[in-house]
Amino acid sequence: MTGDGERLVLRAAGLTKGFAGDGVAVTAVRGADLALKHGEFVAITGPSGAGKSTLLHMLGGLERPTSGEIWLNGQRVDQLSQARWAVLRRRHIGFVFQFFNLVSNMTVADNVELAAIMGGASRKQAQARREELLGELGLAAKAHAAPARLSGGEQQRVALARAMANRPLLLLADEPTGNLDSGASRVVLGLLNRVHADGQSILLVTHDLRVASAADRVISLFDGMVVDDAPMTTSPHPTSLPDVLKLRG
Amino acid sequence: MHAMLRWIRADLRASSARAIVVAAMAAGVVTALLLSAGLLQGATNPWQGLFTATKGAQIWLHLAPGTSVRSLRSQVGGIEAIAGPYSATAATVATGGQRTRVELRAMVPQLPAIGRPLVESGRWLATGSLTGVVLEDTFAQAIHAGVSSVLELDNVDETASVRVRVVGIAQTADQGFYPDQTPGLIWVLPGLLRQIEPNAGHTEEVVGLRIASPAATGLVVQQVVTQLGSSAVGSVSTWQQVKESMARRDPLLGLLLALFGLMALGAALLAIVNVTSGRVLLQTADLGMLKTLGFTPVQVMTMLCAEHALLAGCGIAAGLIAARLLMPLLLGGVPGVGAAAATVPAGWAAVIVCGTFAAVLLATAAPAWQAGRVRPVAAVRAILPRGHLSRLASIAMAARTPPALVLGARSAFVRRLPAALTIGGLALPMMMITIGLGFWSTLDDVQRHPADIGLAAQVTVSPGPLTAAETLRLIRGDPQVLKTYTCVQAEALVPGETITITTLGMGTSRQPYPFHVVQGHLYRAPEQAVATAALLSTLGLKVGQFVRMWFGGVPVTFRIVGRIIDPQYGGQVLAYGRDTLTDEGAATPIGFYSLILRPGVSPAAAVARLTRASQRRLSVAEVPDPADQLGIVRDAVAVLIAVLAVIGLTSLVTTSLLGYRDQLRDVSVLRAMGLTPVQVRAVLMTRTTVLALIAVVIGTIAGRLVTIDLISAVSRLYGLGSGIGSTPSAGTLTATVALAVGVAAVAGILPFRLPGRLPAVTVLGP
Repeated sequence: MTGDGERLVLRAAGLTKGFAGDGVAVTAVRGADLALKHGEFVAITGPSGAGKSTLLHMLGGLERPTSGEIWLNGQRVDQLSQARWAVLRRRHIGFVFQFFNLVSNMTVADNVELAAIMGGASRKQAQARREELLGELGLAAKAHAAPARLSGGEQQRVALARAMANRPLLLLADEPTGNLDSGASRVVLGLLNRVHADGQSILLVTHDLRVASAADRVISLFDGMVVDDAPMTTSPHPTSLPDVLKLRG
Repeated sequence: MHAMLRWIRADLRASSARAIVVAAMAAGVVTALLLSAGLLQGATNPWQGLFTATKGAQIWLHLAPGTSVRSLRSQVGGIEAIAGPYSATAATVATGGQRTRVELRAMVPQLPAIGRPLVESGRWLATGSLTGVVLEDTFAQAIHAGVSSVLELDNVDETASVRVRVVGIAQTADQGFYPDQTPGLIWVLPGLLRQIEPNAGHTEEVVGLRIASPAATGLVVQQVVTQLGSSAVGSVSTWQQVKESMARRDPLLGLLLALFGLMALGAALLAIVNVTSGRVLLQTADLGMLKTLGFTPVQVMTMLCAEHALLAGCGIAAGLIAARLLMPLLLGGVPGVGAAAATVPAGWAAVIVCGTFAAVLLATAAPAWQAGRVRPVAAVRAILPRGHLSRLASIAMAARTPPALVLGARSAFVRRLPAALTIGGLALPMMMITIGLGFWSTLDDVQRHPADIGLAAQVTVSPGPLTAAETLRLIRGDPQVLKTYTCVQAEALVPGETITITTLGMGTSRQPYPFHVVQGHLYRAPEQAVATAALLSTLGLKVGQFVRMWFGGVPVTFRIVGRIIDPQYGGQVLAYGRDTLTDEGAATPIGFYSLILRPGVSPAAAVARLTRASQRRLSVAEVPDPADQLGIVRDAVAVLIAVLAVIGLTSLVTTSLLGYRDQLRDVSVLRAMGLTPVQVRAVLMTRTTVLALIAVVIGTIAGRLVTIDLISAVSRLYGLGSGIGSTPSAGTLTATVALAVGVAAVAGILPFRLPGRLPAVTVLGP
């Protein structure tokens, strides 16, 4: 049980992550709390080294938190084994990374279909889903190309299609535009907005304030701690970062 | 499951070359091991192959004439088919002045369904030629007879004598090899048998029984003897006796190939571990991404194991097919083995197939487990090796050693496990290649100087119907003949040992046959003898000791004065001057003449000339050259060297790709530091070259160290004793080492030629 009355897709409480490297202990995330409602688009922002990516990785089960709780769709998941996390990811989570990370030995179509099949689709359903997604993203003609043959923007669109292939509860995006030029960034951001409009819950990590301004709510991280968590408003008196972003945007 | 299959398919498609190499390694190993198993089987247990090829009978009975066997099948359970009855009689054949006892067996021109003799050369009996006979293979070899030889057959009373011509030589599983099993077997037409032995009372009926359960042989024999009456049964021989008597043949080739096969397996396993762990490192980002997508650690591990199992399966299937195709091609001509004998029992094949499969899986398991443990976050964080510049490297740099050399040599050992696997994966093939070259050079020596292995004479002559004086006149009249030695072959009984051995009186004490003596000296006086290592070991003797033997009731005491090498007579040779027997009063019928030809004369030409000169009355034969028989070793060794070279190359390419991946990030830094593109390439070349050089030197030294011992061990098994082995020449070894290191250098810069095919590059980021 969540212990929460609201319909939350994700909730984290007191998340901490420490690393011990070369005898020096480093705490990347310190007691972060956050919540994400169904259909909400939240951006986590902060300077380099603030612990944004580590927080996102913990929320997607790629890193195990040192302490704290994670609840996904009402189920506590922070203590799950690697294998249980894997099952959770294949069914309910989609990931987009800065460097695209398409599986290099598979074609574009295979990359997308693999995620759909992992999510439980049959081969036919996976193929239909791939055609639908690549069609929507304007990549139908590149279905059988190797990822290395695509431009950065195209690769990131494929990564987005792959992340959406299993119709995830939650889309986690780690600096999705960080490695793209401004044109490609706009396209990717437009796509994220489109899937959000369709009701997709999105948690996005970025240090680019323009990208963060597309979200419903912005969480600011500094030295591993949440220093601000406020919705984007149209208030004429900016009191939080989102208000500032709105004014600047 | 679908997802795993999808990934495996994509991976195989994306890296088909690597997949083919892994499958080819499994195929090569299985082929080598199956061929060696075939040879070992053919060499150590030829009975099984012969039995299958001749559709043999497990029980052979010699029955009194007129015994009816028609009712046997209905009265004794378990008999599947009956061969015969064939009329048979004892007779003698005159060869080289000696009368040898034989069994004549009457058979018709149509070969029977059960127990059909396997014609090796010439043809089977034919209606048109009554005096045409077929000799059992080992008996024919023992009496130096071949197709178209003429023999004198007498019945036991010596009242009838017929001159016959050998029309064919055949193998059989009915009885053991001559002279372990006597009498020798000659197949004749029924008409000829009646001509030689008109008295039906002197004949027997020979019957073969093929039974359903070989394990029940004893029981069936008991029932048959009870049924027919013990007075009607002259003798019984069973498949176990025949198998036992055949089971002492030279396993040289089999052992050699088995050694190569096992070493190839070892090298292949190292290469597979190297390739698989290399790709885990190369594909860390991909594997991490798969885990991010939801693959569990067990699924990743299963996927890699399943992929390799599939490749191993394909390779093994290809290996089975290749072995099946190569078996008759490679082994068909090997004396004492033959295509028929070289069959691999299903049990051995199963062990080879399952063993190779299990070994490949085992080699994959550790890296696959490592792959399963790759953290999903590896998808976004490249894992690079750590290391520091050693003191030696710093000194080298300070001493103005080219930086490319220092950096390349250092980077070779940054990842220690792959470096060790590469060195092992190269050193093993190199060691076997050195050993292979050693065998090659030994064979060259043997062929160039046959006298070194005791084969001074290239041609032997049996007098046949001619007298000794006529024979000698014909031989001495031939200008191609340099020297002639008159030789006798005499059976001797060794008291206390209860065995009979074949001894040779070769030349005289004053003019001894030029054996190759490896210890002591040749016989120079009567009662001195030399012997091979194998015979000395059989009799428990040493050079310098005395041995007493009985020649037809006459005792003769020899002092063993030397150890010789002689591959003939299964390596069991005791030789002395012919005059020893004459002095002691033992009968000395002339056996044959050994001829040494003038240099440059081909033995085949000499045989043809003497046969023509004697109007085919002399039986002239070339001394079989064991090096010729071992020519097959060259082909086999060449094939195996190719397999080993591919395995070694695979290890190198893996190392090279891994180095390129590791250093991709460093390359721009190195350039920024002032290294030219050529120097950057030199860094990568040095990396593989250093590893290759270490491996090649270790492999070559190890190979050289064991070559002589190995060849000696093998030649002792072959009855030659030690002392014939030679190592490859320094020039050959230097060329091989240079070639290996050159290939390694080229492999080092191979990744530059394949930029588009490198995985996991993008993950490193800008």
